[in-house]
Amino acid sequence: MPALRTIAHMCGIRTWFRHTAFLAVYLLVCCQPLFAQSPGREYQLKSVFLLHFTQFVEWPETSFKSDTSPLIIGVLGNNPFGAYLEQAVAGEKVDFHPVVVRYYKKESEASGCHILFLNAEPDKIAGILGSLHGKNILTVSDRPGFARQGGMIYLFNKDNKIKIQVNIDACKKSELVLSSKLLRLAEIFEPPKTNN
Amino acid sequence: MPFRNLPIRKRLLRVILVINGVVLTVACTAFFLYEYYNSRSNTLNKVSAIGQIIATNSTAALAFDNKDDATEILTALKAEPHVEMAVLFDERGTQFSLYGRDTTMLPLIPHPLPEGHRIKGSILELALPVMLNGHRLGTLYLRSNMGAMHQRFQLYATIVVVVMVLSFLLSLALVRWLTRSISDSILSLSKTAAVISQKHDYSVRAGKMGNDEMGGLTDAFNHMLDTIQTQNRTLRQFNRTLEQKVQQRTAELEYANKELESFTYSVSHDLRAPLRAIIGYTAILEEDYSDKLDDEGKRITSVIKNNTLKMGQLIDDLLAFSRMTRQEVNRETVDMCAVVQEVKDSLAGDYDYSRVDWQIVALPPAAANPGLIQQVWMNLIANALKYSSKKEKALIQIGGYQQEGKLVYFVKDNGVGFNQQYGHKLFKIFQRLHSMEEFEGTGVGLALVHKIVARHGGEVWAEAQENKGAAFYFSLPA
Repeated sequence: MPALRTIAHMCGIRTWFRHTAFLAVYLLVCCQPLFAQSPGREYQLKSVFLLHFTQFVEWPETSFKSDTSPLIIGVLGNNPFGAYLEQAVAGEKVDFHPVVVRYYKKESEASGCHILFLNAEPDKIAGILGSLHGKNILTVSDRPGFARQGGMIYLFNKDNKIKIQVNIDACKKSELVLSSKLLRLAEIFEPPKTNN
Repeated sequence: MPFRNLPIRKRLLRVILVINGVVLTVACTAFFLYEYYNSRSNTLNKVSAIGQIIATNSTAALAFDNKDDATEILTALKAEPHVEMAVLFDERGTQFSLYGRDTTMLPLIPHPLPEGHRIKGSILELALPVMLNGHRLGTLYLRSNMGAMHQRFQLYATIVVVVMVLSFLLSLALVRWLTRSISDSILSLSKTAAVISQKHDYSVRAGKMGNDEMGGLTDAFNHMLDTIQTQNRTLRQFNRTLEQKVQQRTAELEYANKELESFTYSVSHDLRAPLRAIIGYTAILEEDYSDKLDDEGKRITSVIKNNTLKMGQLIDDLLAFSRMTRQEVNRETVDMCAVVQEVKDSLAGDYDYSRVDWQIVALPPAAANPGLIQQVWMNLIANALKYSSKKEKALIQIGGYQQEGKLVYFVKDNGVGFNQQYGHKLFKIFQRLHSMEEFEGTGVGLALVHKIVARHGGEVWAEAQENKGAAFYFSLPA
């Protein structure tokens, strides 16, 4: 009899223990700012954003070699996504174009891609954008001032969320059509008025 | 009261009202149900369409984790007041954005959310997947209150009932007014028919209301009355003529009869005088001149006397017969037994009773003229004795009984009888079935019997077989 009671007691303690542990984890997850200590999570979300852009952007027909040629998401510079981006696009298709990821060291290699994430130094960005001018590539970056420099989509953090800023002029110049759905939730970059 | 016994007007009224009621109810119910289901499916379609639009619009918000945008999209539902609540869930099923006036219902949303629509009372719930390139980004939940629609339908139902009641009342008034032309003509016709059958007045005519079947019937009815009236007139005229003719003929007949009777009477009466002379002188011949006549002369004298006596008898009978037609029948209760006994006694001199076996049973008394009824018995018994006279042993049965309110008397003998085939001739004057040589007789007796019984309101008949006797019956009213 005493043995049984001991077991019951132990079980009670164990249950309590488990609950407490769960609560602790829950509090840890919920009360912490989203990215404060987890840049990984931030890039996980951004990699999903990159994939989702394929659904809200239209490329000209000529940017694909054939109906089944891949839609290429390129990353220029160091890869901040780890394996997240590869995971996100695994098995994905846009119409009949399989989505693939390419990593580039130089901008000259990136001419065949459709979305290019620029993870470059801010002072190099203007140059890179200049070299991509006229190509049907959606340029994306989280470097501050990206839209101002002529980039198309600037991802920035605000209120613990990833926000989107779009440079419509740049998109138009590259013959890319952005969905109104995307535009509605994006912040539109207004180019400063030039005084002649 | 059973339906078929109701007055025609009420029946028409009921038939039309019942049909009207059924048609109205069926039509209104059909329209109402159609409208209800139509409206319900319209609401469902509308909510589905709204849901689809919102779900499509929400893809970017979910894809790029933008709650503000999602909320903004959902807020557009303000334009649809019946949508009480809309919730967007992300792919993990947690609430992403919310629109709603009454968020207390939030915990009631089932989890996990089944797709499609459900209707509970006036609440329509709709769950739609939010898809992007084959991936489920989340779920849209819409909750619409169809209470307004239900309220509208309650109003519809009230209107339908009011319309039905009003149209029913209107049709009642119209039917009353419109069926009058039908029922009035029938009523007029039946009233006329009643007057005719009660008062036998064929001069009345039914009023005609129109040229329809009822008008035709009224015409036919009136025409029939015309015919009946004409025929009645003809019949009456014919009857009058006939009566006149009958009277005339009766008068003629009566005159002829009287003439005949007076002729018969005077002839009979006047014939007696010369007969008396013949009988008287023949008697003188027999008494005073018997010694002067030879045997042949005596025989001839005897023949003359016998024939003269017979003739006297015939004249007596004829006189009795003709008197019968003039004489009034005064009735009194007659003891038939006494009468028969008297007759039997009076005939004793003419027949040999020693060879006659009399069987007389009790005779019921009758209301009759004693003198006349005695003549009946006299004739019948005398006949029985006469026609059984050739038998060695004569059997004469006399009796009477009551039958069907009549008194029946009979006289039966075992004499020569007669052929029943000629039975009908028996009771006619001067008709005889046997020759004078066989049996004497004048042929008046049974005719007299017939006449007397007929004058008493009775009947005479006979049954017989040749050589096996005869039975004569006569009946008198009891």
